[in-house]
Amino acid sequence: MAKAASVKAPRLALVVHSDVGVLSSFQSALTEKGFVTIVARDLPTALLAITQHYFEVAVVSSRLGEGGDGWPLAGVLHLVFPKAFVAVISPDEPDVLVLQAAINYGAREVFDLSRPAAEVVGSILAQLEIAGNRAASKSSVQ
Amino acid sequence: MLEYKTTPPRDLSMPRKRLLLLVDDETSILQTLRMVFENEGYQVLTAQSCAEALHLLDNGHKFDAVITDLNMEREDIGLEVARAAQRVKPRPAIVIYTGFASIPNSRAALDMGVDYMAHKPVEISELISALNRLISKRAVERFR
Repeated sequence: MAKAASVKAPRLALVVHSDVGVLSSFQSALTEKGFVTIVARDLPTALLAITQHYFEVAVVSSRLGEGGDGWPLAGVLHLVFPKAFVAVISPDEPDVLVLQAAINYGAREVFDLSRPAAEVVGSILAQLEIAGNRAASKSSVQ
Repeated sequence: MLEYKTTPPRDLSMPRKRLLLLVDDETSILQTLRMVFENEGYQVLTAQSCAEALHLLDNGHKFDAVITDLNMEREDIGLEVARAAQRVKPRPAIVIYTGFASIPNSRAALDMGVDYMAHKPVEISELISALNRLISKRAVERFR
């Protein structure tokens, strides 16, 4: 009897940034780690992508059209995909107000734009793995 | 004659009030916030120190939310309240407010998964709306 082959759904990531160079570097870094990456340069495209895919990771610039308008998008992503890892890219070193915005909009991490995309993706995946292991050990205890 | 003791039936039409733990070492702030949140329909328990809050969190209360000041017995001790609240099942929404936000304590709150951070002077209407949103979100997630 033929066995049904298990089809693993692709891991999806969304990257939203107005700079094509940044989008491209994140897309390469995420693709290298096995993600199918959807990119958006603006808010309407990002919202369209949210209606069409289920994302596990989202990397959003805190500045899309103007300063700070990426935060509400991060908040929407957190509400729609509560288990997703939502990271925000800040143009500068995160200060107290940026960290406060990250907490209040439900972002899991905030990175400085100067950090290389591969390093940011590595950090996101490491944190996802830690969270996954924690969840697995909890369910095995129960 | 036999006497039967029965427990009164729970009135299912009356939803349980949302239970809130408020933690602050300043009595006046605690009383003001208690009044505000009771007016919003919350049932409020208060603690005047981290130790008192940890005792309440360990006592089986099912808090819907915990709101804590950051600096009490010592600097950033509110993070310990937040840490303890995270271990409670089901996990309550966790809100920290402070007049002494710094990069290290804000970073610690973010890493810990604190749900909301308010800087003093706290805008009460924003705090209420954030809390209502966080609690509703949790309720929806439990049914998913």
